[in-house]
Amino acid sequence: MEQLEYLAQKILDAAREAGANAALCVTRETETREFNLFNGEFSLLRTLFDRSVQLSLIKDRRKGSVEINSFDDAAIQKAVTDCVASAESAEPDAAWEFDSEARDETNTAGPLVCDAEALFARTKELAEEVAKRHPKIVLEECYAKHVVTRAVCRTSGGVTSRSAEGCYELSLSYSAHDGDKSSSFYYGGVMLPSLDKPFLDCGLIEWELSSVERQVDNAPLDGKFTGTVILAPNALAELILSTVQWNFIADDPLIDGTSIWKDKLGQPVADPRLSLSFAPRAADVVAGDRWTGEGYPAENWEVIRDGRLVGFMLSQYGANKTGGVRAACPVDRWLPWPHIPAGKQTLDEIIAGIDRGVLVMRFSGGEPAPNGEFSGVAKNSFLIENGKLSHALSETMISGSVADMLQKLRALSRETLRDGGCSLPFIAFDGVTVSGK
Amino acid sequence: MLEDVITAKKNLFEPGAHTELRMQRNRERDVILLAGDVVHNTRADYSGVSARVYRGGRYGFSSMADCSSEAAERVLLAAAENAAFLSAHAPGDRPALPPAPGGCVRCAAMGDPEQRVYVDFIRALDGYIAAKYPKLLSRRLHATEDSMEKLLAVSDGTDAHTVSPRSYVYVSLTAETPAGTPVSRFRAIGGAGTFDTNFTDPAALYPEIDRLYEQLMQKREGVYADAGLRTVILGGELTGMLSHEAVGHTVEADWVLNGTVAGRCLHKRVASELVSLSDFAHTAFGAPCPLPVYVDDEGVPARDVPIIENGILTGYMHSRETALRFGAEPRGNARAWLFSDEPLVRMRNTAIHPGKDQLEDMIASVDEGYYLTATENGQADTTGEFMFGITMGYEIKKGKLGRALLDTTISGVAFDMLKTVDMVGDRVEWESYGFCGKKQPMPVGLGGPALRCKVLIGGR
Repeated sequence: MEQLEYLAQKILDAAREAGANAALCVTRETETREFNLFNGEFSLLRTLFDRSVQLSLIKDRRKGSVEINSFDDAAIQKAVTDCVASAESAEPDAAWEFDSEARDETNTAGPLVCDAEALFARTKELAEEVAKRHPKIVLEECYAKHVVTRAVCRTSGGVTSRSAEGCYELSLSYSAHDGDKSSSFYYGGVMLPSLDKPFLDCGLIEWELSSVERQVDNAPLDGKFTGTVILAPNALAELILSTVQWNFIADDPLIDGTSIWKDKLGQPVADPRLSLSFAPRAADVVAGDRWTGEGYPAENWEVIRDGRLVGFMLSQYGANKTGGVRAACPVDRWLPWPHIPAGKQTLDEIIAGIDRGVLVMRFSGGEPAPNGEFSGVAKNSFLIENGKLSHALSETMISGSVADMLQKLRALSRETLRDGGCSLPFIAFDGVTVSGK
Repeated sequence: MLEDVITAKKNLFEPGAHTELRMQRNRERDVILLAGDVVHNTRADYSGVSARVYRGGRYGFSSMADCSSEAAERVLLAAAENAAFLSAHAPGDRPALPPAPGGCVRCAAMGDPEQRVYVDFIRALDGYIAAKYPKLLSRRLHATEDSMEKLLAVSDGTDAHTVSPRSYVYVSLTAETPAGTPVSRFRAIGGAGTFDTNFTDPAALYPEIDRLYEQLMQKREGVYADAGLRTVILGGELTGMLSHEAVGHTVEADWVLNGTVAGRCLHKRVASELVSLSDFAHTAFGAPCPLPVYVDDEGVPARDVPIIENGILTGYMHSRETALRFGAEPRGNARAWLFSDEPLVRMRNTAIHPGKDQLEDMIASVDEGYYLTATENGQADTTGEFMFGITMGYEIKKGKLGRALLDTTISGVAFDMLKTVDMVGDRVEWESYGFCGKKQPMPVGLGGPALRCKVLIGGR
């Protein structure tokens, strides 16, 4: 850590000498140990030793950034020179800013040393248990790894933030097969602070495996209807939350004015039962970021409270450009630790109240239009008829408008996905077009 | 250029174990202008060395962010230890990998233009757009280059020193519909080569910008597609996506082992006899491919892979290890994105071969349907079910093009849909700007001619 801190300061000093008015430097070392399963068998063991230097500087209100993965003196000097040249090539923009409020902090979290034998044992157990409990599942690819990252963020304004964090991660993709029949593939994963529990007991992995196994028997939908769609947590993130983030509340659509929510701050944008925050500091988050891209401390940030839009996801740059307020959470990541409070009904109770609809575990669609209109394939989905899950669906599409769906929220489930990066329920929305052949 | 400190380490390779030692540098250059302001201005360089050792069906891999001789020795040792760990804890019994042709491939050096070249070029383009089309709601321009340089030393096979530069200008324009709803059009222009060689004169791109604006104005008055199974003409860009997503992924041999639909279809009819499809290495239809590959990261010289011939599925794409399992011949499809990535079975330049039909005749043959011309993303499935986002298209009514479409999505099952192809255009279009995602990103080329077929289209 001391070397990272020394290096960051040395780079900031070099940037200042090169004429920078303000600068931010992050130095990082990462060590990864990763077991790979392919087709249910151990196939590969990787150990990776990586490091990086990120430097951003502002010179005469012009900003440039570089990233390298060498701590070599010559490489660092070249990076500083390149960064200054990049800044000099840009137009002045007074909106650029880094955190200049001095703070000195050190954070440590998670297992900093990999227990390779235990990680191997948990991974082996996963492969064996899946084969035993879910014989139709083919575990196509599975990566079980331990990652430890030591990093220092320093700014010319006096910020020094040190972070040492370790975690275990599991990601897996699989499909179900029975003779010539097969399901769509599905993927998921979890981040964990320890290996105390079997992987199958984490997140929604067991429920997801069981569901996909049932999807080996599937059929296309005949015709088209407008009905209720229940989005499982992963589909909710892929479709609804990513559209909210990138089309409605991020820097770009607010700066260029294409966001349909640009004038909605303080107003209702969703059913009053919905609240949404991005929460790197939530208790259930494993290895959340400690600082934003501009060096500010990473904190939890409310976007929707009781259906009302209470915050955009603006960087300080975006806030300065739009006259808005900077979000406290990192804004340049995809869905940074989304949290939605659970509802009161169980998933089964929600299904029991639906005459005709679809339960969707994964959404595969084109990028939603700027106004949030979308269409795509309801992957790993089940038809709901007369309050019960019917057969699994293939070749079935859903289409609608994310903004409209948020207003037509029917129910939030009591069950949630807690995967170390999010806490999300199942949510049912009315008025979605479902079309088959 | 990378200094070769790895070839001399071959004497440290473990006898009897297949070993790859790779040194690699990736660089990325990005400048984004949003409404005239530079909102992103970044140069990134990642380099290092990695080793992979194969023993009895298990691989060990290690990488370091360091291009020194000492780092090469350390990753060789760590990779061998990892292979030994897996062999001891999860013993495998597969035989040694079959040998590959020996030799050495060398490519020329590539330049590295300074950041001002990117900034000045798109600023000139932005000035043109701002002056000519002041009523746009938004304009976003992105100048980008991502390039790879690789040094490879293998225990058997072909050693290599290769460079793979590619660069693009992405243009995204947004306007409001009469009802005040934003609609967008996107276009990527560029291909293999460094930015300064691909882009010398901003005015050369003005006609493309004008066409994009014209399409945006058509889309501004666009209508929703009528959801359901429809007869469509897929433009070449869509056919390229079809070649890659709907077919290509299902015939990657690692996916086949995991149970894709293609595993049951070898030597069977999977498409109309008008359809032939190949994964090209470096040359296709008498011209260089968009992103040529001459040798892969396992030291296998790259050759074309015929996949569908006149409607019959004829082959899969392989790594050395999957080729061993299938008793097939690897043809250079094992590729890695970063120095810290292991080679995976990847496509290179995947395309459906051209036919004999003229696009005008194809459109005229459709009584009611759609002509779909642009896509920005797609996804495949082990079942062969695919989806593409459609960002530009038109109604066809009684053989004539009608109104533009708002964004939608199409889907189908590849080997069902390809059997409905009854006309194939005579001109191939290529795209190469995107990344294929499969554990690691990877630049790929994809292409094809216009096709007449039936697909499921989303909409209202």
